[in-house]
Amino acid sequence: MNWVEFSSDAFIAAFFLYCFGFMFYVIAVAGKKWSNRDPELHVKRWARIAYIVSALGLLAHLTFFFTRWIGSGQIPTSNMYEFMTFLGMAIMIAFIIVNAIYRKPVLGMFSLPLVVLIVAYASVFPQEVQPLVPALNSIWLKVHVTTAALGEAFFAVAFAAGLMYLLRVVDFKGTGKKARRAQRWVEFTLYVIVVIIAFIATVFIFRGMGYQASFTQELVNIDSRGVETTTVQEVDYGMPPIFKPYNSEVVEMESFLGMSKPLFETPSWMEGVNAGRKLNTIVWSILIGSLLYGLLRLALRKPLGAVIHPLMDGIDPDDLDEITYRAIAIGFPVFTLGALIFAMIWANIAWSRFWGWDPKEVWALITWLFYSAYLHLRLSRGWQGAPSAWLAVIGFVIVMFTLIGVNLVISGLHSYAGVS
Amino acid sequence: MIHNTKCECGHQNHIGTVLCEACGKPLREDMQSQEPLEMRYDGVARRSQKSNPNIIDRVWNFFSSVKIAVYLIIITLLGSILGTLLPQENTFIRGNPADYYGPNHGWFGELYYQLGFSRTYESWWFITLLVMIGTSLVICSLDRVLPLYRALSKQQIRKHLSFITRQKVVYTRELDVPGEDFARDMEAQLKRRHYRVHREGDALLAEKNRFSRWGPYINHIGLIIFLLAVLARSIPGWYMDEYVTVPEGEAVAIENTNYYIKNEKFTVDYYTDEELPDHLQGQLRPKLYKTQAVLYECTANCNDLVEEPVLEEVKRHDIIVNSPLSYKGLHAYQFDFDDTPKLAAVQPSLINKETGENYGSFELRMINPELNYKVGPYELELRSQYMEFAIGEDGNPTSLSRDPNAPAFFFIIKGPGLSEKGETYLYFPRQVDKQRFSQDQINRHISDRLELSVGSMEGVTFAGATSFLNIRVDTAMPYVWVGAAISMIGLIMGFYWNHRRIWLRVDNGKLSLGAHTNKNWYGMRSDVASAFKKMGIEVDPKSLDNGGKNS
Repeated sequence: MNWVEFSSDAFIAAFFLYCFGFMFYVIAVAGKKWSNRDPELHVKRWARIAYIVSALGLLAHLTFFFTRWIGSGQIPTSNMYEFMTFLGMAIMIAFIIVNAIYRKPVLGMFSLPLVVLIVAYASVFPQEVQPLVPALNSIWLKVHVTTAALGEAFFAVAFAAGLMYLLRVVDFKGTGKKARRAQRWVEFTLYVIVVIIAFIATVFIFRGMGYQASFTQELVNIDSRGVETTTVQEVDYGMPPIFKPYNSEVVEMESFLGMSKPLFETPSWMEGVNAGRKLNTIVWSILIGSLLYGLLRLALRKPLGAVIHPLMDGIDPDDLDEITYRAIAIGFPVFTLGALIFAMIWANIAWSRFWGWDPKEVWALITWLFYSAYLHLRLSRGWQGAPSAWLAVIGFVIVMFTLIGVNLVISGLHSYAGVS
Repeated sequence: MIHNTKCECGHQNHIGTVLCEACGKPLREDMQSQEPLEMRYDGVARRSQKSNPNIIDRVWNFFSSVKIAVYLIIITLLGSILGTLLPQENTFIRGNPADYYGPNHGWFGELYYQLGFSRTYESWWFITLLVMIGTSLVICSLDRVLPLYRALSKQQIRKHLSFITRQKVVYTRELDVPGEDFARDMEAQLKRRHYRVHREGDALLAEKNRFSRWGPYINHIGLIIFLLAVLARSIPGWYMDEYVTVPEGEAVAIENTNYYIKNEKFTVDYYTDEELPDHLQGQLRPKLYKTQAVLYECTANCNDLVEEPVLEEVKRHDIIVNSPLSYKGLHAYQFDFDDTPKLAAVQPSLINKETGENYGSFELRMINPELNYKVGPYELELRSQYMEFAIGEDGNPTSLSRDPNAPAFFFIIKGPGLSEKGETYLYFPRQVDKQRFSQDQINRHISDRLELSVGSMEGVTFAGATSFLNIRVDTAMPYVWVGAAISMIGLIMGFYWNHRRIWLRVDNGKLSLGAHTNKNWYGMRSDVASAFKKMGIEVDPKSLDNGGKNS
């Protein structure tokens, strides 16, 4: 067995340990209302078990990271799979740090599923080691990527705490206009999370089934001299094509549930690399996600927010508010250093300019501006509590767009990462 | 709104003061509740809180508002997003951006281009936003840091009772020991926790990490230096980012400078098939390309159109990726190359088509050709030249680029058997272009009598590979790094340490303790609780919370 294979086993171990850690945190938090026990003792005991299991998960994850580094000879942060797993690991580290300060089991109940989700999302991407272009292989790349991810990890913990705050304080019985609006948005956030889970599940289900379809797509490009060039490329789908690529012909397509040809064509204005496949994946995720959400609602007979809300009883919302702010305050300098300053040093070495307004750079700046606005708003009255928690949630959406969305939608120097 | 600014303790405060600078008593009537106090900037009057503001004060007041700063940040954020919707113009090195947006992105692309979003980050409004943020940084900081410095450097130890009991962290109880003894014990406990303690009988002020209050301002100084460095690029001579095309063996002037750069030899190595993985077999992938470059400085006749400039060699370097030629702040980076064969010169012969007689040949260079040629009894005058011939939208000939991709030469031929004024002749050296543009049709009045043609490959010379170099000057670079470093130091100071203060006084055996921090109340409460614990008083840290906002 070589290092890389061993690292994959460690990765699977980490994934399951995180899942168990999450379950134990749920038991710690939800189980204190169970009969025949002292609630305080119960929380203390199960929170410790959950913490130990999660820490073991991190240990396995670190083992994965370093053995893969040894096995591949380069730091495993160079493609989407490696970067997302690293981000998951960084969130665990940030969680361990914040938890060391505040010791709230409920933080684990929200941080761990986030880590599980990100690690599972990482596994969607191809996992083989890809050699790095030698010109890009610099110490500053490693420093830049890892520090930026660590800063973002603290924002992720702030997101978890912010979402908890909202689930804790939003009045799920209220019928007023304000309460209704808050309920709707919290529910929408939870729905989006269900869709992301559905995306991961859908990818793995169709992959397990070995589903395949392929198309030839004609791409017309007009260069800046007005010369038209047509290229034909093959596009492979791993999911049944609801949307086929724009201007394409079916080469091969397995029939799925009686669907033997694509239903729609991707609109022409979607021009990203493999736009058709991405649109198809998104449509599938939303379909399956909505189905999953509908089944959950049917089973629970309540909005998801209203189901989670009672679990949060007895948690001091002020603590959650402070944890949210604190996590961002810890993460902000790290993010500034990693995503902007180290990035500038690295860009100055690799592309001989420290800033080039590349979309990824701009989005890192946008993230930074957003959190600076957050930190300034915290100084003013009326921006603590719920508004601040919403900002933490939106901030993390911007972080994720910078990490994933930019690669999927806009092409640029960092576009190495966009697959699937 | 006229407030009596003199406090009952006798201190004369500035207008706009919220908490007396000496004793901390809340000064405004509307603050006489029991709510926790607004402790921002220790309740001092900011410069912007002046009565009767004049025009400069108004501008100052505008930029001193944190609310305005947040608006500026949000607008800049939204503007930046706009610029990422489509590729920016600076990503095109060659070609006309106007021909890119419309054809590739439809009406949206056209609108994007027309509104100038294709140059978002160079646009006047974006630069204006950056300048406004810079102004806001300076004014916000000055407005607050000076009064805050004044307030923190002369703090009174015994604060007003309502100042203490209206802090966010408060503890009161009846004491069974003399007040002074208690304060002395507390002093020892807090010193152990690294507080700087000032005691005045039974009143006490403990403080630590005051320096962290300066973090935000140091960060802002760093950001200002950074922004100024970026803006300094518009100072003439400070910044240049140009691309030059240097064919092998030629020296090219670098615009706006006194320098010329010569490409003495260009070499490129390709990967062999053994070195490539299977899916890349048979492809040409460059492994290493190198320009042997010489930098010259022009010493005389520099912008003279007639005289040859006098050049003096100043630097010689083999430029490869990541190894630029550098001389006095000017850097020449290897950017790209083109090694497809390009015509350098042809040797056409003038032939009489009717008799087959060859009148002789001449050398016609693609770059800087001679204007007059004499071939046998004929005289050829070069009227115009097209490097990449095309018929423009107006129906007239035009050139699409400056590379000899489809060269064409427009001659006037004079000589025996031709009219006095001479006859026009359009000559395409490349056989492909000759057919594509129907040379014989264009020249039909003369083409059955005379013809220019190249007999064999010996009559054709090709140019060496062309190297594209990126010439950069960025004098502001060191200031960019200094600004970033200062900013980072400020961030670390401000975020990883918190300024914590504890006030304590004993009145008739009753202890009143108040504590304040600018960040991290959790830590503040546990500091107080653990000091109490050491003194035998058990307090739940959370119970010290007096409500109010977290910040």
